[in-house]
Amino acid sequence: MSDRFNITVDGKPVAAKPGETVLRACQREGIHIPTLCDDTRLDPMGACRACLVEVDGQRRLQPACAWKAAPNQNVKTHASSPRVQKHQDLLVSLYMADHKLDESGLPIETANSNQLRSWAQETRPVSLEAVEAPRAARAGDKNPYIQYNPELCILCARCTRYCDEIEAVNAITLTNRGSETTIGTAGMKGLLETTCELCGGCIDTCPTGALVEKKAIEILPHQLERKVRTTCNYCGVGCQMDLNVAKVNGQEKVVRVTSPPPGETVNDGNLCVKGRFAYDFIHHKDRITEPMIRKADGNLHAVSWPEALKFAAEGMNRVKQRHGPGALGFISSARCTGEENFLMGKVSRAAFKTGNVHSCAAT
Amino acid sequence: MQKTGARREEILHLLEELGGVTADNVREVARRTKVSEAEIWGSGTFYTLLKGGPRVRVCNGLSCRIRGSDELVAQLRAQGKEVEEVSCLGQCDRAPAALDENLKVFDKSRGPRGVTPANPGLAVNLAGEPDYTLAALDKARAMAPADIFRLLEESGLQGRGGAGFPAHIKWKGVSTQKETERYVVCNADEAEPATFKDRETMLRRPDKIIEGMAIAAHAVGAGECHFYIRGEFRAEYEAVKAALKRMEARLNFVSWYFHQGHGAYICGEETALLESMEGKRGMPRLKPPFPHEFGFRGKPTLINNVETLACVPWIFHNGGPAFKALGRTEAGSKLYCISGHVNQPGVYELPLGATLDELVAVAGGYEGTPKAFSPGGASSGFLPISKSSTPLDFKNLAKEGSMLGSAGVVVLNDTVDMAKAAQWQLEFFEVESCGQCAPCRIGSRYLHRQTTKYLKTGDPGALKHAGDIGWEMEEGSICGLGMVAAKPLESAMKYWPQEFARR
Repeated sequence: MSDRFNITVDGKPVAAKPGETVLRACQREGIHIPTLCDDTRLDPMGACRACLVEVDGQRRLQPACAWKAAPNQNVKTHASSPRVQKHQDLLVSLYMADHKLDESGLPIETANSNQLRSWAQETRPVSLEAVEAPRAARAGDKNPYIQYNPELCILCARCTRYCDEIEAVNAITLTNRGSETTIGTAGMKGLLETTCELCGGCIDTCPTGALVEKKAIEILPHQLERKVRTTCNYCGVGCQMDLNVAKVNGQEKVVRVTSPPPGETVNDGNLCVKGRFAYDFIHHKDRITEPMIRKADGNLHAVSWPEALKFAAEGMNRVKQRHGPGALGFISSARCTGEENFLMGKVSRAAFKTGNVHSCAAT
Repeated sequence: MQKTGARREEILHLLEELGGVTADNVREVARRTKVSEAEIWGSGTFYTLLKGGPRVRVCNGLSCRIRGSDELVAQLRAQGKEVEEVSCLGQCDRAPAALDENLKVFDKSRGPRGVTPANPGLAVNLAGEPDYTLAALDKARAMAPADIFRLLEESGLQGRGGAGFPAHIKWKGVSTQKETERYVVCNADEAEPATFKDRETMLRRPDKIIEGMAIAAHAVGAGECHFYIRGEFRAEYEAVKAALKRMEARLNFVSWYFHQGHGAYICGEETALLESMEGKRGMPRLKPPFPHEFGFRGKPTLINNVETLACVPWIFHNGGPAFKALGRTEAGSKLYCISGHVNQPGVYELPLGATLDELVAVAGGYEGTPKAFSPGGASSGFLPISKSSTPLDFKNLAKEGSMLGSAGVVVLNDTVDMAKAAQWQLEFFEVESCGQCAPCRIGSRYLHRQTTKYLKTGDPGALKHAGDIGWEMEEGSICGLGMVAAKPLESAMKYWPQEFARR
């Protein structure tokens, strides 16, 4: 495209678009710049300082996430700048002095991963004494899903910005100042007493696992068998989600649901409370997994799909013959997709000749 | 996210009016302004003056520490008072300073406070009679903006808030924006430790500040003038308001607004100040964009320090070259605050580029044997007294790895332990860091704790990474606070290594 131009990154030409940041141009070309507070859905904040690069003509290091690319700009990342390298090593050192570490001295791994852990392995941090920042948690938060652990929080504010910029819910906020800064709510109340809708998007965007889902908190990412991409069946929007499967007592089970990365699917990394947290039905003992017919003994019995469909069709035809098509009505579920609703219309109008058809999603 | 109809700019003021941040007050402010409760809570908890409950506030700035602020705290607590130790109150000339429950200064009046005698030949002339005639404004309004900028350029006026940026470039920068909704903001959030020149200017010469703002508004085409004043400055607020009242009939070509701060040093940083005016947490913005293009409410905004604006009328009366000639190594006369171990602390107006020895001479001389001085607030670190003939200006102090900053000069004599002095300054930066970026938030706490540990154990190993962390704070922080927060320790270790040996 004619409006594209080149910048130079570590001596190599990189194509950029007008208005694009150095970070996005580099990401498209596969040039690695570490980030913590960046989320493609949010306005750049430049607070984590992980992505600082050298820009020609600038005295100070600049955040690639916010710095706009300009024609012929010369940028150096840690790959070619000892200054950026030293900055990264020392920044990681500081983060680690303010973070819960495991026995190996690395930032602790959590059920929601921890990008600081991998970054610490890519750099050469010096070992500093812990600063023991007095960040408050919200004691007594009784919400069933979302847990906040201030020992793992780096205050990148992705969660609070997500809650504001994407969900427009504003349940959580940066609170206090300086080393006392923490993630709080009005009155430091539990999430159930706020405007929080428990969408769990804060967990999804958290880079260090300071926010985790309370269920299956002991199952770490490397213990997962696989992820299965599927469509949420709670409504017709069609959100894509990943079922996280792990072996529990020797059996494969869905242990949590995560959203695919932003930009990949129609829901852009977002899910609602049902999609993200209401998956207990999958392995529930009362779940009906095959069609059933109530037989002469008064009890439900499992049958094959052809038998069940035949039985239902015969029953409805009997009603139609006895009372006319107007005696039949069809209501489809809000959990049906558009395609399924279309088929419901066909069944009603073409097969049974009645216009009595409705979807509960319409009201 | 800005909600339609929400009035965010009002929330901090309302919280203060209701008595501080409590869950109930936050709910009430949310009801009145349509701003979400969480945003109000988040903004409110940033500011120390919004902590509810009456208390006496005792300053723990450097000049007050060496004058016994710790003893004052103990004394007040023994009287059963609720006491909070707070960052520098800008009352270093009456150290140890304290504010009572109503934010009124405890004045122990140890004689008159030092100030240069009246002299119309000085740009600010603190001791002179206020002049409400607005004669300089009349001259300015008869001039085209381009001529005004030329006059400022000739005068060589540099921003007196700390950075020393040429004033005419800022002014021109605002006036050349396409956007015509523009603002003038006077930064009166003076809180750099050891600095009290703006305080004294507001009390004595508010006429000059207001006239300077009005000239600026005319020159850059702004429709509104906003005065952001440190929350602890109550008498100063009344003084400026009273002066405006005397002149307002002739100043109604712009609208005037006051904003009282709510307790946060960082709001003296211009973009944090703008955030605070918008009802947000006082966290500095990324620059660029600079305020002259994206300022208050996202519009072009001229932000100048009190003293910068107070110099402007004199320039219109006497011309650019005359102002320049008032200085020695750089342009103009300059308000220097001096406190610590000198006999007559105060604010003295001297040629820019005067030396410490000259300044101390007008301030009654050294008290005891001088050892160190801090030329421009906590941010400038410490210099040994052997540098007392260095011109106190922007350029020469930068060459020494220090800075003129806000010209808050503190002299320390040989009774002061430099490691202790560094620890006090580091405590200030830890408490006042906004917490937004990791280098400053974690680094300032780390250095403060390690220096404290060294003082306790005498083991210099506690400070073995201090140099690296100071480097990272300067390179990695978003704003100037983090960039300079390690300076007091770095400079003390550089010039007094023996005071950081094993003890």
